[in-house]
Amino acid sequence: MIIPALKKTYKDQLVLDFPKTEIADGSLVALCGPNGSGKSTLGKILAGVIKADDGCEKIPYEQVGYMSQQAFAFRLSVKTNLLQNKDSALSREENEARAEKLMKILQLSELAKKNAAKLSGGQKQRMSLARALMKDYKVLILDEPTASMDLEIIPVAEQLIRDYQERTNCTILLITHSLDQAERLASRILYLDEGKLSN
Amino acid sequence: MGQAFIEAFELILSGDRIVWQIIGVTLEMTLISSFVAILIGVPIGAWLGNATFRGRRVLVIIDRAFMGLPPVVCGLFCYLLFSGVGPLRGLHLLYTVTGMVIAQIILLLPMAVGMTESHVFAAAPVINETTRGLKIGKTRSLFLTINESRYHIISTYLFLWGRAMAEVGAVSIVGGAIMFKTNVMTTAIMNYTSMGNFKSAMALGIILLFLVFLLNIIGALLQGDRNK
Repeated sequence: MIIPALKKTYKDQLVLDFPKTEIADGSLVALCGPNGSGKSTLGKILAGVIKADDGCEKIPYEQVGYMSQQAFAFRLSVKTNLLQNKDSALSREENEARAEKLMKILQLSELAKKNAAKLSGGQKQRMSLARALMKDYKVLILDEPTASMDLEIIPVAEQLIRDYQERTNCTILLITHSLDQAERLASRILYLDEGKLSN
Repeated sequence: MGQAFIEAFELILSGDRIVWQIIGVTLEMTLISSFVAILIGVPIGAWLGNATFRGRRVLVIIDRAFMGLPPVVCGLFCYLLFSGVGPLRGLHLLYTVTGMVIAQIILLLPMAVGMTESHVFAAAPVINETTRGLKIGKTRSLFLTINESRYHIISTYLFLWGRAMAEVGAVSIVGGAIMFKTNVMTTAIMNYTSMGNFKSAMALGIILLFLVFLLNIIGALLQGDRNK
């Protein structure tokens, strides 16, 4: 996978100046950096949520999934939230089975019928991760997927991410401010500072 | 004044045929027009609130201008359309409840579009980040956006219904306030007052106030449900 050179300016201020970068297919790459370094901006551009100033035409948006840092929950039950991102290649029963399995792993089964908008921040993030993993993407960008989770559930979530990658062989770009998490999960770490790739 | 109140309650409780007929026409006209306006206006408003194309702002400005359309101007426009010299004269809509419903829809539709658009425009960025990020299809995204706005849509519907009930200019021009046919509560209150029949005017006024209170109670109950 090749990420083209991308630039993004907000109100005449250059917030991202990312060089052309090659990432091995099927690898898990972490994107680290301090707050405001442009990590989420890069993730959103790659997923087609926002547009870069140029270079966007080379990104295969349709193959890229993006789990937002905001962990937005629709005013639907937890299970229905997951099923909003059902995989069209699977039958209804298979999608339901996948949702049940993800909820069980992330300890959401008891909350399956609860209105997801009423969940706590950590619960919403578990639901949001489960929802993102419902579909098989070629590239998946996870933006701070465990930042609000309880400490004891983080290893479970990390193992789930590893298992997903092993099953789908997709390329995962993990956006995280935690270097420890990056080292645990990623085969390569990219570091962004003030919108630029740093050594 | 006090005597008029007492007589008004007596008239309500007596089941006066004329009064209840006027209430029936009013409810038929207002419920249908506000429902049709919300049915058409919500998808258009949700689409407009979500849209990013050039010219979106122009459409929003036009819609907001029509939100302030004076009812008498709308009534006059419909009158000219439906009257013997108008292009729709063959439909025989003048002085009918259907004609009044159409006039009300023209008045209410820009409000349904505008109120939905402003709500969706504020809520859309966070919803879109999720739906576009996960590659959820456009139709499903629109459904999810409308679902997220459902309490606002209910409030908008109640507002439109209230507006339709309080409206007098357009319905009097298009409907003609014909007794047992197109006379609604507002036009009847005007007529009764000008005839000096304050008892009937007051009775209708009390019922109108009661219905407005009822609308607010429904709104408050729905608000309570949202906070559960």
